[in-house]
Amino acid sequence: MLYWSLKTLFAEPARLMVSALAVAVSFILVIFFSAVFEGESEQMVVYLEEMEADVWVMQKGVANMHMTSSMVWDWKVDKIAQLPDVREVSAILYFNGPVKVGGKNWFSYVIGISPEYRRAGPWDLAQGKAMPGPGETVIPEVVSQLTGVQIGDEITLIDRPLMVVGLSKETFSMSSSVVFVSREDLGDLLEGSDQYSYIMVYAEPGVNAKALAERIKQEIDKVNALTSEAFIASDRQLAVQMGAEIVRMMTIIGTLLATLIVAFTAYSLIARKKQELAIAKALGFGNGQIYLAALSQSVVVTVLGLLFALLISFTLLAWLPTVVPQINLAVRLHQFTFIAMVTLPVAMLASLSAARTVARLDPMTVFHQ
Amino acid sequence: MKTDVILKAINLNKYFGQGAAVVRAVENVSLEIKHGEMVLIMGPSGSGKTTLLSMLGALLSPTSGEIIIDDTDISAMKERALAALRARKIGFVFQSFNLLEALTVEENILFPARLSIEGTQGARGRLDELLGRLGLIARRKALPNTLSGGEKQRVAIARALINQPPIILADEPTGNLDSHKGQEVMMILHDIARDEGCAVLMVTHDPRVEEIADRVLWLEDGALRDRKSEQHSWVTDPVCGMRVDEWTASVTTEYNDKKFVFCSARCLSRFNAQPEHYIDETKYRIPD
Repeated sequence: MLYWSLKTLFAEPARLMVSALAVAVSFILVIFFSAVFEGESEQMVVYLEEMEADVWVMQKGVANMHMTSSMVWDWKVDKIAQLPDVREVSAILYFNGPVKVGGKNWFSYVIGISPEYRRAGPWDLAQGKAMPGPGETVIPEVVSQLTGVQIGDEITLIDRPLMVVGLSKETFSMSSSVVFVSREDLGDLLEGSDQYSYIMVYAEPGVNAKALAERIKQEIDKVNALTSEAFIASDRQLAVQMGAEIVRMMTIIGTLLATLIVAFTAYSLIARKKQELAIAKALGFGNGQIYLAALSQSVVVTVLGLLFALLISFTLLAWLPTVVPQINLAVRLHQFTFIAMVTLPVAMLASLSAARTVARLDPMTVFHQ
Repeated sequence: MKTDVILKAINLNKYFGQGAAVVRAVENVSLEIKHGEMVLIMGPSGSGKTTLLSMLGALLSPTSGEIIIDDTDISAMKERALAALRARKIGFVFQSFNLLEALTVEENILFPARLSIEGTQGARGRLDELLGRLGLIARRKALPNTLSGGEKQRVAIARALINQPPIILADEPTGNLDSHKGQEVMMILHDIARDEGCAVLMVTHDPRVEEIADRVLWLEDGALRDRKSEQHSWVTDPVCGMRVDEWTASVTTEYNDKKFVFCSARCLSRFNAQPEHYIDETKYRIPD
């Protein structure tokens, strides 16, 4: 029966391809939604990750960067730097809001950096210089591509024109890009020239980050200190709750749609061969073999669809950002595992339900066509 | 003790529906078929022939009664045992051939051999023998959609014989064939009964087969009776020229106070369109 099942499937390559592609298209839809979801989620915390700090220190009661403000007196930076087990500190002033580039507002993480804390600046530069001075800014390269604003052009932060002196890579996100300005400008705009927002702490090798965070909280008044891991997780969760939730919903809908398509394809595949399965049953094949034949066809089509989806997705996802640079995509193997885990059982159930009608065979179907 | 009877039905009944809507498809049918015997089941459309064949082929459970195949009562058997029984004891030949489209001629023939004790490899010798006997050697690698109707039916017969079953059940095996191919298939089935000792039970409307059958059973309104000994009244269908038994014919008409008998409703409609074209009493009336 297994031989018949596979031979029947491959005897009509065009039909098999159409079935597998239908399944693949539904998978690609889910993979695309999922890739956007993953990409945006990662991009929202990219600054935190790239800084590679061990501990983040912020105003007491604050536990996020996204959609949050934090103010810490600048003398606390020095105090933290003098604590035992602290190798290095870096600090930024931060503002979360719109930046007008090319006549359009771009919701951004505005990072105010000082020359003494160069580490807090852009980590990958496309053009220009990394450290903006007073009246200068470094914007994402993608924003420059989308707006046509180049080095030497002006953008507006609140009411202050700033000249673009650098274009940074990996800093664009649909929901919040990273824009670098001088701490001087941002401090002036926020009336916080003697303050910072976040302090990045780099520990001596071998020091436990969690213990260090606890010690900072104990020894420095009115601050919160979180390990980098906890801070990123907290920010990612907030970001997901706010914006990526919609994308997550789309992913779930896409998965349901894919499941429906897989179920329909598997069912129609078996239903179309019901007469031949009925013949097999009349000739003496048992229900177990009928079910196995039905299952094997569904599994082959679903796996083939998954392989097509993998191939097309990776090609498409590698090419898409060059055409649509504002999309952040991230493809992970677990996405495919998830899709396979959801759709394979559905395909099997669908084919079994079709084969079930053969198992409950009306003998007349064998005698008449 | 082994008897010569391979297939036996005792007081077989099959009812569909319940209460006032019950349909008695087969009613109180008893029959015995011996090894090497060729038995026809004839009867008007809707008389229960296929239902009876389905029950005898272990595909449909009777409402009541017993079916004994090779001294084994199959009435209470489970589905798994019935499937094994069908694989080893019964060969099916269908009107619409029912070949598996993706498989070649030899794969189709060997298909049920997977269920036999000797398996596909063990059935290779038998395959070659059947291909030779049924004139299919040159077509062994062909797919069903490249075969003629006669070839398809010969493949179906070879498939039915591959596991050397003692019973062949054939449902209108000539129904989709022209008269020449139909005759050829009939002779093959006749030879199988004679040479291999198979019991061949055939449902057919084709009256020409009666001449080569050992017995003809007439099924009407669910009940069966032996008809070989009964008198025939042979006439010729004025449209197609087929010999038809006036005694059993169900498609008849009267024209100019004369009765005309037809093999099918199609011939009757053609006659009704142009009766004068077909009337020639001396030509179509055949003496008993």
